[in-house]
Amino acid sequence: MLAYTLRRIAQLVPVVLVLTVAVFAFVEALPGSIVDTLIGTEGGDVEEARAILTKEYGLDRPVYERYALWLVRTLQFDFGNSLVTRRPISTELLSRIPATVYLAVVGIVLSIVIAVPLGTLAAVRRNSAVDYTAQVISLAGISIPEFWFAILCVLLFSLYLGWLPSSGYVSPLEDFWGSLQFLILPAAAIGFRQAAFTTRLTRSSMLDELSKEYVDTARAMGLPERRVIFRYTLRNAMIPTITISGLQFANLLGGTVVLESIFAWPGIGRAIFEAILQRDYPLIQAGVLVLGVIVVVMNLLVDLTYRLLNPRVKLA
Amino acid sequence: MSELEADKLVDIAIARHAPPTPRWTTRLAATLSNAWYELRKSRTASIGAVMLVLLFGACIGTPWLTTYDPIRQDYRARLAPPSEKHLLGTDRLGRDIYSRLLYGGRRLVTIAVVAVVFGLLLGIPFGVLAGYWGGLADTVGMRVVDGLLAFPGLLLYLLFVTLAQAYKFEGVMIDIVLVAALGLAFMPEVARLSRGSVLAEKQKEYVEASRAVGDSSVNIALCEVLPNIVSPLIVTATVRLGLVILIVAALSFLGLGTPPPTPDWGSDLSAARDYMETHPLIAAFPGLAICYTVLAFNLFGDGLRDILDPRLAER
Repeated sequence: MLAYTLRRIAQLVPVVLVLTVAVFAFVEALPGSIVDTLIGTEGGDVEEARAILTKEYGLDRPVYERYALWLVRTLQFDFGNSLVTRRPISTELLSRIPATVYLAVVGIVLSIVIAVPLGTLAAVRRNSAVDYTAQVISLAGISIPEFWFAILCVLLFSLYLGWLPSSGYVSPLEDFWGSLQFLILPAAAIGFRQAAFTTRLTRSSMLDELSKEYVDTARAMGLPERRVIFRYTLRNAMIPTITISGLQFANLLGGTVVLESIFAWPGIGRAIFEAILQRDYPLIQAGVLVLGVIVVVMNLLVDLTYRLLNPRVKLA
Repeated sequence: MSELEADKLVDIAIARHAPPTPRWTTRLAATLSNAWYELRKSRTASIGAVMLVLLFGACIGTPWLTTYDPIRQDYRARLAPPSEKHLLGTDRLGRDIYSRLLYGGRRLVTIAVVAVVFGLLLGIPFGVLAGYWGGLADTVGMRVVDGLLAFPGLLLYLLFVTLAQAYKFEGVMIDIVLVAALGLAFMPEVARLSRGSVLAEKQKEYVEASRAVGDSSVNIALCEVLPNIVSPLIVTATVRLGLVILIVAALSFLGLGTPPPTPDWGSDLSAARDYMETHPLIAAFPGLAICYTVLAFNLFGDGLRDILDPRLAER
């Protein structure tokens, strides 16, 4: 296991390098130079400022040297300053991470709470009304765009019924119960969509397990059906479900740009979206890189957990 | 008479008694009825197929199905409810929603199809050759694929859209950049899938046989192996079409797609938000259109998977 873990970590290095090259190339591909953008906002002695900034940003050096310098600084979490707020990008991004993690955790937990019982019941009562309902719900969840679902929720619960605020955020550390009312709608929008995938997966892996021979043996020995399902099949069927939920969680950490924008949720996705509107290129670059690395590392953790949960998998 | 000549005589005899090759129309009809027969095995696939035929029919027939210019504004008929004149009513600028839906769908479906085809064209050679050559090419190729897969959610598109904005692209150029980004994002999945299938196919005897008669390896990979891995690719591409529609709609919902007044389901939905409380129908139609389209591709893709992989259909 240790050798496997080390090898997987070693495999991470080229992947992260590809990521850094991609986001570096993105800024290189922008028209004009960053110096013009900076000077445009400050004024003063243009020529002198240009010379100083060109030197400071290393623009008089060849591309590969600049990439190396940028990489060294990036590895030290020094992403430079935001063009808009002038504050260090690393603190900007760090302050946004808690909100994103909060939303993603609640959304994923919600989806598992909905999906696992529904998927299990659908598999156990195959071709029953419950099964068809579960299939229709999961197909709907996959096909309905989450931003439309979010809008409809806002329309119903905020505008017509007036039960919940339509957008905003309160930190759970400041006011836990107050933060919940802001959390419900975005978390429900995430939970519904993720539950659609997870229900399908739980159903099909439960069906897979139920068709195995040990189930026949257990039943032949006279074990009650409840024990067969909860003690044996469900435990095995949970392995792929947990794995996929982990991967979805990793994706949610970087993929909630749309929902965070709709609900004015101050997460990292919204930070990147705002940076795009304000043309704050260094922030976009750093944000995408940070999210990419988070996703890669999360994927690795999920993979390792999967091996721990399921020792039968050969350590290939 | 030598053995060779005898063989030739047999060939001629067979050719004379073979039934005449049917006309292409007959052959096409036979292929279609075969395909329909296969589709009927899965209820989901046949429902999806009917929905897709309606969708593509509407996309192709848009100019004949609509009577209004989708961007013509009529200030006297703003926010009109559905009527005989305007089938689905009008939006905040008095534009006919029905026309906007059809023209918007035509654009969206075209973008999605072109993007997915582009992704296939990038990914198939990449994966097939990586799998076939193996060794260093495979290792390097797959690390690039992993790197591309590490871009979560919309981020890769956001980078491309930002570039397009920075260069002040307009009209078709924005669509081209979007198609490039969508294709590039689909590429890793296609590459992985085709690589996996090639690794499995490579072991089989027909590949050995081709190599024995002196075929070059690229030729074997593309001409012999490729046709055998088509069915999983078709399923993936169909399901991806639904996802691409969702992504494009989400981007234009955020205001990062083609700017107004071009009819677009995502940006129309976003604009309808301001009138949602008083005129919820305006926000309902583009949303329903997206749902219908994505559902059609998903149903068809799921059904196809069941048909092409009978082991899964048991479930």
